[in-house]
Amino acid sequence: MNLKNIKKEFPIFRNKVHNNDLVYLDSANSSQKPLVVVDRIYDFYTKEFSNVGRSVHYLAVAATNLYENTRSSVQKYINAKDKNEIVFTKGATEAINLVANSFGQKYLKEGDEVLLTELEHHSNYVPWHYLRKSKGIKIEFAEINVNGEVTLESIEKKITKKTKIIAITHLSNVTGAILPVKEIIKLAHSKGIPVLIDGCQSAPHLKLDMQDLDCDFYAISCHKMYGPTGLGILYAKKKWLEELPPYQGGGGMINEVKKESISYGDLPNKFEAGTMATAQVIAFDESIKFLNKIGIENIVKHENELMDYGQELLRRNNSVTLIGNPKNKGAVLSFTMKDIHPHDIATILDEDGVAIRAGHHCCQILHDKLGLAATARASLGVYNTKDDLDQLNSSINKCKKIFE
Amino acid sequence: MDLKELYQEIILDHGKNPRNLGRAENFNKDAKGHNPLCGDKVHVYLKLNENKKVEDISFEGQGCAISMASASIMTGLIKGKEEKEVKEIVADFLEMIKEKENLNTKLLGEDEKTKLMCLSGVKQYPMRVKCATLSWHTLTSAIDKSQNEINNEVK
Repeated sequence: MNLKNIKKEFPIFRNKVHNNDLVYLDSANSSQKPLVVVDRIYDFYTKEFSNVGRSVHYLAVAATNLYENTRSSVQKYINAKDKNEIVFTKGATEAINLVANSFGQKYLKEGDEVLLTELEHHSNYVPWHYLRKSKGIKIEFAEINVNGEVTLESIEKKITKKTKIIAITHLSNVTGAILPVKEIIKLAHSKGIPVLIDGCQSAPHLKLDMQDLDCDFYAISCHKMYGPTGLGILYAKKKWLEELPPYQGGGGMINEVKKESISYGDLPNKFEAGTMATAQVIAFDESIKFLNKIGIENIVKHENELMDYGQELLRRNNSVTLIGNPKNKGAVLSFTMKDIHPHDIATILDEDGVAIRAGHHCCQILHDKLGLAATARASLGVYNTKDDLDQLNSSINKCKKIFE
Repeated sequence: MDLKELYQEIILDHGKNPRNLGRAENFNKDAKGHNPLCGDKVHVYLKLNENKKVEDISFEGQGCAISMASASIMTGLIKGKEEKEVKEIVADFLEMIKEKENLNTKLLGEDEKTKLMCLSGVKQYPMRVKCATLSWHTLTSAIDKSQNEINNEVK
């Protein structure tokens, strides 16, 4: 599939926004959906719908096979060792909550430390905060450097004998920093500490290889990967899924239920209680096919080119200050403008059909550290072009004019 | 949808050079407001005299042009009003910004109403209404002291 014509695959770009072509620069928030994914949801509901894993009728068997097909596709896409290491959740947020909850319940006690970084999204901080409240654990934050990166040394500095788990982002949704996760995992494992990676921003933009990374847990958000909303993935090493207690109880996750006792189902059912986001899981297979058709190497190359182009444009624009300057950076351009609040920037850009995000991007710890209440953020996806970034730059100039 | 209607000269002016910025001397009522969606923060200070009249009012804060201009214009209109009048003006403004065409209160002069109506442009931008109302909710909270920090997200 050619990246040049890729916008055609996404029906949203047929629509005008305020009479302008849509320049969608908010993919770090959520990506747009290719028609194949939208069609798959429609087809499943109109022709193939049934709940999965329960009934034995024709539709149920077919739907179950489709559902499990996606699990296999995900396993291949992220190179997990075992299909049953893939747990579907309602989002990456739920994936992290699952680990914090189940791991915390079994392994954490008062005074134990969980190590995060200052780059974390609230979804990789708040779930651990609950354990601070309920169990009296301590939360430590590895600090960022002036470039908005978290280095291996910065992590190492905060590891103590009490560190029981390290939970860190793979790619910052604000500074774009790509963390040296493989080295961090190696270091952590040498000290017997498991590692959870928040892969929300990395999964759509980087090549993933669970076996090579050797991480213990990896959380993925499907709607940022050109997939449906309401769906996330928790990758976890089999030994953890076997050891951890279930996160939620309900139908589908049990083996035997008696008045006196309950035994839980096999993996991964033990962690998939209740009726799952069936249509979304089945449609997500199309997202993976779509990504595979383009090829992750081509996506990385395309987005890096755009990133360099966008950074250069904004650097040359003297009314703009870029946030963070990481050496290893993903497809995010956060910026501020002198004397113009990010929300005003976003409203003015919107008038031209340019969709960006403004605010703290669910990273208040990071914004406090940077001394900023909010930033504006343009984030890239496969469908973006240099023209989009030129439009961003010219709308930024218009913004400057209004406030002059 | 018209940007010029939102970012009128008066809004840009008040946004850039907010009036009554700082901490009022001898204030005896205050409250903080916060909009977690965008990080806007405002702290309103009031000096109510024994007749429940606003002798002085000021604010500190950081935020977008809309929220700064709204706080700036608000403090200018409220100074010298009695507590009961303040509540009427706040209620009238909040109704106007949400659904009503015009301001109905007789407590403000025509030129004051015109100034306030400059903020009505946000009606076309539902996500930005909170920017315009944050300081007003915070003012109510300072007067009532019912709640220490207004969280505009739940409004």
